[in-house]
Amino acid sequence: MSSRRSRQSSGVPRITDDQIIELVSKLRQLLPEIRDRRSDKVSASKVLQETCNYIRSLHREVDDLSERLSQLLATIDADSPEAAIIRSLIM
Amino acid sequence: MRAPQTIKQEFLKKWILGLQLCDFAKQNMSMLERKKAIKLSADIAIASTRNGMTCWSRALVAKASRDYGDKVLVERMLASESEKLKKVSSIGLIAPNKWVIIRSKKILRKSRRARRVRSSVPLSVLAKSIAKKMVKKRTQVLKSLVPGGEFMDDISLIEETLDYIISLRAQVDVMQTLAKATELLNGK
Repeated sequence: MSSRRSRQSSGVPRITDDQIIELVSKLRQLLPEIRDRRSDKVSASKVLQETCNYIRSLHREVDDLSERLSQLLATIDADSPEAAIIRSLIM
Repeated sequence: MRAPQTIKQEFLKKWILGLQLCDFAKQNMSMLERKKAIKLSADIAIASTRNGMTCWSRALVAKASRDYGDKVLVERMLASESEKLKKVSSIGLIAPNKWVIIRSKKILRKSRRARRVRSSVPLSVLAKSIAKKMVKKRTQVLKSLVPGGEFMDDISLIEETLDYIISLRAQVDVMQTLAKATELLNGK
């Protein structure tokens, strides 16, 4: 397929420490747990770990909510006026 | 940065359109099928709020199109979206030259691993290298969690992660609100 010669990595710019610090601080602001702790004491590794945990929990929430909505749609009482609202909205 | 309220409004609009396409009232779906359809419409809706501008949103659309069984439904959901979104669901995400970069990075990584570690390394240097390895390891995990992450370089990964988390939160908030509203209307 393509040539086996490895290309120089000069095409990919080296990340500066300042850039990392800036991005990591933004990430920290989003994470519920780390935000409350004192600043500048958290390692990049810890931030990454918290980020992964947070994303995983958000994924789980989406999944649980999809399941909950699926159950709710099944049990809508067909004749109630409330059901008509839901039906007109999403069905 | 986009205001969270704007994201939620856009998401809600698109999600409801998607849900209507699922035609729950008529179709005789199982609970699991309904759940998958709800999740599909939610994922396509949140991805489309980015209008193809982020890697994660394009990857999410491609993934949803691949994984969901009813391709007709996916097609209809995407039909109302921009041309950009429709393209990525059918064509691959990666430009050919990126594949070469990824492959050559893999070759470099393998040759680095082959080098033996010297025994007389000072503790501070060891600590630094361990810290680096931890960061590397956790970065790999993050790449597996963010859609399209495996194709991103480190800086893009963090930027995409920031955007992705904000979008995920909006998605969860709106889905929670709809679930609560439905429960209330159901007379619980």
